[in-house]
Amino acid sequence: MNPRPDPNELTAPDDGIARGGVLLDVKNVSLSFGGVKAITDISLNVLKGEIRAIIGPNGAGKTSMLNVINGFYTPQEGTIIFRGKERRSMKPHQAVGQGIARTFQNVALFKGMSTLDNIMAGRSVRMKRNIGWQMLWHGPALREEIEHREKVEEIIDFLEIQHIRRTPVGKLPYGLQKRVELGRALAMEPTLLLLDEPMAGMNLEEKEDMSRFIIDVNQQRGTTIALIEHDMGVVMDLSDRVVVLDYGKKIADGPPDEVKNNQNVIDAYLGVPH
Amino acid sequence: MFYRTAGQFKTSYEADHALFPVRQDAILLGVILIFAFVIFPFTASEFAFRALLIPVLIYSLAALGLNILTGYAGQLSLGTGAFMGVGAYACYKLVSIFPEMNIVVAIALSGFFSAAIGVLFGLPSLRIKGFYLAIATLAAQFFLVWLFQKWAWLYNYNASGAIQVPNIDLFGITVAGPRATAMAQYYFVLCVVCAITFFAINITRGRIGRMWKAVRDMDIAAELVGINLMRTKLMAFFVSSYVVGIAGALFVFLWRGAAEANLFDIPLSFRVLFIAIIGGLGSILGNFLGAILIVALPVIISSVPGAFGIPVDSAMVEHLNIMIIGALIIAFLIIEPHGLARFWAMIREKFILWPFPH
Ligand SMILES: Nc1ncnc2c1ncn2[C@@H]1O[C@H](COP(=O)(O)OP(=O)(O)O)[C@@H](O)[C@H]1O
Ligand SMILES: [Mg+2]
Repeated sequence: MNPRPDPNELTAPDDGIARGGVLLDVKNVSLSFGGVKAITDISLNVLKGEIRAIIGPNGAGKTSMLNVINGFYTPQEGTIIFRGKERRSMKPHQAVGQGIARTFQNVALFKGMSTLDNIMAGRSVRMKRNIGWQMLWHGPALREEIEHREKVEEIIDFLEIQHIRRTPVGKLPYGLQKRVELGRALAMEPTLLLLDEPMAGMNLEEKEDMSRFIIDVNQQRGTTIALIEHDMGVVMDLSDRVVVLDYGKKIADGPPDEVKNNQNVIDAYLGVPH
Repeated sequence: MFYRTAGQFKTSYEADHALFPVRQDAILLGVILIFAFVIFPFTASEFAFRALLIPVLIYSLAALGLNILTGYAGQLSLGTGAFMGVGAYACYKLVSIFPEMNIVVAIALSGFFSAAIGVLFGLPSLRIKGFYLAIATLAAQFFLVWLFQKWAWLYNYNASGAIQVPNIDLFGITVAGPRATAMAQYYFVLCVVCAITFFAINITRGRIGRMWKAVRDMDIAAELVGINLMRTKLMAFFVSSYVVGIAGALFVFLWRGAAEANLFDIPLSFRVLFIAIIGGLGSILGNFLGAILIVALPVIISSVPGAFGIPVDSAMVEHLNIMIIGALIIAFLIIEPHGLARFWAMIREKFILWPFPH
């Protein structure tokens, strides 16, 4: 229905931060739930244009970190500076307004809606026509709908999910659901894309596809990506820099090769008691 | 054969966004509209108008209003009857205070009263969900009906405590009150229902409909794609209660002719909820299918056995009706939560594939 989009048209809008500049700076953040310390005094940054991996054993606090970044949790201590603006707390929909989109560890799609509608929902905040125009449908509301539909179809082509456009996502296999969820996040045209275990539960072929999509999003659209992943091979291939968490603390941070050979990391993954 | 989609390729997104991407759907709707606007009015008896056609339309509209809230936005309400009452009393006060006001304007305005009350009672939805929200709407139901009884100003201090619809003309034709003909009332209701259905279809298939469904399916994810939960939920309460209020005004002004407070009590709320469930939550068409079934059922029960010489008294009709509806509700909740609308979708699918299944 649509020719393959020209990648040059898909680059994220310029926000004044040069490639390689600090896009997100998390400083001394601590988060606890009652007595449980999920994150203890962690600082990390994400540079514009990079793929940043967050790894660590189960329960290390990785998901909590993403939740802090996109405003879902408010940390008890620390600050977050995104695109040069500092904040302690904000609502998730405000994070969206600032250009943060994410996917979830357990797919969080709108199950009763089609693939197309799920991805279109990702553009809700960009659509402005009010209920009066929506009631009439023809005219401005339809023009807006078509304009956004074209963007969404570019994403559908990019992710190669044309065949499931009309399928209710609840009926899709898990691997495809993960892909649709990525599509919904892309529809938001984020500056920073947070992916929580995008390849969990996938077979090798699906993982390869997903890796390719992540790299393409990063390179063609210039989207900065922070991802959580368990598959070390995938992490080492994809990411520019890796931060390692264990029991809510940062134990290593640096390029993949360096992190791979770090003794603390090896111990954490081998389960050496500490 | 009937539903052949082959050869109907979409060449633009505009065509894909048409109301009826499949031409046969448009033809079918055209046929239904011809029946509704031409054939029924010229063949229906007074009884058919009053016992079938008009109530089917009004109940469809009420269920449509509820379906916007419950089926699309996922917020359960047990107070539909009371919100219909708000629309009816608002309309009654408007025509009492401004007798010169055009009845269409009065009905359109009365919807805003029920919408405002709906938003007010929708506020708890920002904090509570599901069962607890249902209980909160039930509280609204009790409170409002109590208010309809106690606040004598609402019924103009009539000794009977009831509201009585006066004769009201529109373009020289009496459409409400004792002098109105069934046919005039039918056409009036039909036009209102068609217009609101058209608007509802458009709202539910566009941005706002997607936001409602997103909140229904997973509110946390909806928030994380930037949907403002508070505004989206309250908008659903507003639009839903507006439509329900209009249905309530029609219910009294264009059908019953008079009403007491207890007309809007829980049985009415449940009847509308049953129509929405049997018809299919999250469907526009379903409201009409559900209303046809619920309105026609007692008529069928009382007339069909009679035609075979089996006498059924009215108490028996009542009992059978309740038993059948109860069984249907349970059956639909278990077997097909998407109701009659899903059955139609399946039949339609068969026609599209026919005669080559797969
Ligand atoms: N909403 C919550 N309430 C209570 N404890 C939580 C909550 N979210 C996370 N935790 C706790 O915080 C710790 C880190 O969890 P999480 O961030 O999900 O780890 P990871 O994603 O690295 O596996 C765990 O001990 C977990 O039980
Ligand atoms: Mg996790």
